[in-house]
Amino acid sequence: MTDLLTYVIQGIPFGCVFALVAIGLVLTYKTSGVFNLAFGAQAFLSAAVYYDVRVRHAWPMVPAFVLAVLVVSPLVGLLLERLIFRHLRTASPVAKLVAALGLLVAVPQIVQIWLGKGPTFGIVGVWSDDNALYRFGDFVVDGREMAVFVCTAVGVVALWALFRFAPVGLRMRAVVESPRMTELAGVNADRVSASAWMLSSFFAGLAGVLVAPFYASLSPTDFTTLLVAAIAAAAFARLTSIPLALVGGILLGISQGLMAGYLPPASLLARNLRPTLPFLALFLLLLFWPGLRTAIQSKDPLAGVDPPPLPPAAEERGRFLTIGTRVFGVAVLGVLVVCSLTVFSSYWLLIFTQAAIFATIFLSITVITGMGGQVSLSQATFAGIGAFATAQIVDTWGLGVLPTLLVGAALAAAVGALLAIPALRLGGVFLSLATLAFALMFESVFVPLDWVGGGIRPLRVPRPAGLNDDKMFFLFCVLVLAAVAGLVVLIRKGTTGRFLDALRGSDVAAQSIGINPARARILAFAVSAGIAGLGGGLLATQKGIAQPADFGFFFSLFFVVVVVTLGARTVEGAISAGLGIMLMPEILKWAGLSPSWQFVLFGLGAITYARHPEGVLESNKRRSLAFVERRLPRRWRGPGGSGAPPGAAPAADAGALPPVAAAHVRGGSIGDKLGGT
Amino acid sequence: MIALLAVLALAAGACSNAKEKDSGSGGSGSGGGSTEVIDQPGVTADTIRVGGVASITNPLNAPYGDIFEGVKAYFAMVNANGGIDGRDLEVVSERDDQIANNLREVEGLLSQDDVFAALGMATIFDFSGADALAEAGTPTFGWNINEDWTGKPNLFGNVGALCIGCTGIELPWVAQELGKTKIGVMAYGVANSKSCAEGIRDSFEEFPSAEIGFYSDSLAFGTADFSVEVGKMKDAGVDFVTTCMDTNAVLSVAKEMRQQGLDAIQYLPNGYDQEFMAANGEFFEGSIVRVPFAPYETKPRPEGLQEYLQWMKKQGITPNEYTTYGWINAAMFVEGLKAAGPEFTQQKVVDALNEMTDDTVGGILAGIDWTTEHDDTMPPETCGAYVVVKDGEFVSEFVPKGKAFVCHQRSDDLAADPTFK
Repeated sequence: MTDLLTYVIQGIPFGCVFALVAIGLVLTYKTSGVFNLAFGAQAFLSAAVYYDVRVRHAWPMVPAFVLAVLVVSPLVGLLLERLIFRHLRTASPVAKLVAALGLLVAVPQIVQIWLGKGPTFGIVGVWSDDNALYRFGDFVVDGREMAVFVCTAVGVVALWALFRFAPVGLRMRAVVESPRMTELAGVNADRVSASAWMLSSFFAGLAGVLVAPFYASLSPTDFTTLLVAAIAAAAFARLTSIPLALVGGILLGISQGLMAGYLPPASLLARNLRPTLPFLALFLLLLFWPGLRTAIQSKDPLAGVDPPPLPPAAEERGRFLTIGTRVFGVAVLGVLVVCSLTVFSSYWLLIFTQAAIFATIFLSITVITGMGGQVSLSQATFAGIGAFATAQIVDTWGLGVLPTLLVGAALAAAVGALLAIPALRLGGVFLSLATLAFALMFESVFVPLDWVGGGIRPLRVPRPAGLNDDKMFFLFCVLVLAAVAGLVVLIRKGTTGRFLDALRGSDVAAQSIGINPARARILAFAVSAGIAGLGGGLLATQKGIAQPADFGFFFSLFFVVVVVTLGARTVEGAISAGLGIMLMPEILKWAGLSPSWQFVLFGLGAITYARHPEGVLESNKRRSLAFVERRLPRRWRGPGGSGAPPGAAPAADAGALPPVAAAHVRGGSIGDKLGGT
Repeated sequence: MIALLAVLALAAGACSNAKEKDSGSGGSGSGGGSTEVIDQPGVTADTIRVGGVASITNPLNAPYGDIFEGVKAYFAMVNANGGIDGRDLEVVSERDDQIANNLREVEGLLSQDDVFAALGMATIFDFSGADALAEAGTPTFGWNINEDWTGKPNLFGNVGALCIGCTGIELPWVAQELGKTKIGVMAYGVANSKSCAEGIRDSFEEFPSAEIGFYSDSLAFGTADFSVEVGKMKDAGVDFVTTCMDTNAVLSVAKEMRQQGLDAIQYLPNGYDQEFMAANGEFFEGSIVRVPFAPYETKPRPEGLQEYLQWMKKQGITPNEYTTYGWINAAMFVEGLKAAGPEFTQQKVVDALNEMTDDTVGGILAGIDWTTEHDDTMPPETCGAYVVVKDGEFVSEFVPKGKAFVCHQRSDDLAADPTFK
């Protein structure tokens, strides 16, 4: 047998697993428009259920398989569809993505809490003997691989038969081909959608149970890696073709085998290319795969778009309330700062210092998501670029820390702009996936390099001159936060902010009045990356160390989840998110709960994004404002001050107008700035 | 508004329980007995309080938090014998840094928990609190797995400072003893793993007992498919595989070796895990595991090891690698306390330990010379214990009866006989 054939065959088992997940992704995406990032989490859940009943409770294989794959997995799919995604059918792609992101963060934590602490050794698969060897000529496969081959073949044939012969399959196929035509033909889209969710979830569960015995113990990280590889396969299938998803998954597995076989194992190329293959494949497919580009361009013009954002509650309240709220806000801030400088222990000082730093990083999400309407899943990576750049420059050239922080931010901004140039053509979910691929590539390829992550010795970062005292450093961080917040407000109120507001509503409409979407978005992306880089540099300076553990891709996901839960559109939202991420563990400790619950709470909180894209904080603020204004004399009420419930602004309210018009009414500026266009 | 209220409530709490790290509870304890009044953090008339930070919650689900069980078992033994000068030892806080919150939790330990010493520090990716502990002068004991332990005189790991990537005679000597001729080296493309692999490669260049037949330091973390690598090792005639990877990977490699019929054994620097081996022993038959302390299988067991296993049983805890580290941490701490005398202070404990030149904690360790082993240079003598996997269990290897460790002098060559401890 030639080497080539050996490498090809050896790559197939994992390729099959990638394919199973990719098929599920495509099924869900085409029937419900949801790019289900939680698929890896669902696979992990099924694997955990199977492990629990099979290993801990010694169930026989068949009932364990039936429970984990045929009952729990479809049930989870059904629950997700009924409780969450059915209500998002007309929501924007970004809202659907954020909900899936919340699940991706929350579900593995719930499973881990349920599994309990300690390793989960002794995973068994769905073959009678995982370790039995079967010889086919020169090639030997074990029970785990046989299970993968057989289950993939049976699964794909069953899927084909379902689509070909069963009524529900035919309806699903119709939805896959043309959702709107199917609805016009009187098919119950909800039922089809529920069936598709159950089916796709079954594939996630099957993949989870099949891949688990390849690992020594169950870890959510392994299933996330599986998901990313499967996304690449789904991208290869243009997110539409189930047969191509199968081919894409297997091709990816084979590519890994070929690369392992032909690249010299200790070469620079192997070191950089092998770990990053699935992420690189995803990134390149998103940018250059013609089929995918066509799919993006031919998206349904009637699909949901972001509704025009309501103006922040702060813009609707009357002068009296505005002054009162600001005085109260400044007073609270003042009390916190004074407490921090006088009576707080060093622990609480550290918490509030880090809260200010995280709030700075979160302002980058305010710019890109709150203003730009795009979800970037690489903000922690940009923070890492700022941190590593600061550490390396200070260490290598001995520059002062303060200017170096700015250099780090500038570098992050430059990288952000470079990433944005090709990625922003994608938009929506595809942009988010491209940023995720970039974050994973950075983590796999660049961070291990000595000149980036520092190698085995942690990179030391001193405090800026004169700020060695923790209290002085806290004040410095508060000042940086205030400056960045001011910058964000200026951007929001300036031309770029208005342009982004307009683009958020409709690209076509915005372009028709002369707005250059690429320029506005690249600028927003660069500013956002720069802010994250500055925050990352600050974090490294505060900790005295720049380390990869602080900037892993999981944090990018978690940061987005926290900010969109609390409020991505306002500076206040970012500050609350900074405080929330630092105070939540304290509240949980006080309640006697594991800090892991913060991931669950924020993750589930993100699901509310579709209903409250302004965030929980802003939503509550609007409600409180309505409540308070109802009790105020009419002359003290604001422009939206009818005391009506949130979202029910009067017709004259600028917030009820399309974004461009709203911008005109609120700022009166777009037409002026475009020279009377 | 809700957020603001939460902030205010917490701020109020923070203000009320603020406690600066310099202000020890000192002699303000309840008094009584004949104990000296000692003005030190965490010390009262009848108690010495300690705490620690471990990555209890971690993505690998590894039982790092078990390190506290080892500490508590040792304290139970000491307290059963009257404590230290009439004071009981107590673990008052077991903080979870969740991998990336180490500095925060260390700061909490120092300023909120009122502890005399930090024990059970078990963090793998982030020990950013190391500088804070060093600056505070708090006697600190833990599982030394990264470079942050280096160069800090009040930080005492379960072994002396690490030197990842240094060359040494140990592994070439093991290969020579086993008659192995072709070595396969596998590592992830991340810094520590890569550096470890380079150290192994360079060691075999310096002490050429066998030839490197396959070398890869480009594997992706999380990889579970090693079919191609194993195929190449088979083609190269590799008979001794050494990895710088986690248990997931070594198990996958072992299964693939069996599947492809590669007749080789593995050398596992991180494989002393009874639970893991009970579940997967069939794939590691004959493999060699290096243990950083006297293995439980040592016969006869040294006194410290006997006590350890006895007290773990009494406490109802299954011993593992991490409980052993906790026990070692606690034993070192108590040695320091005793040596510091009845009027002990944090500094005196640190100084007393740093004068010890052969710290074995009752024979569990080969002996650490704390006058030199805070540095990351190789000590003049290196020792390791080895077990071989037989029928899913560990059996001591290479040492005569009554000994646990094989020791080599830095100046040794392969022809030199090692000494045994």
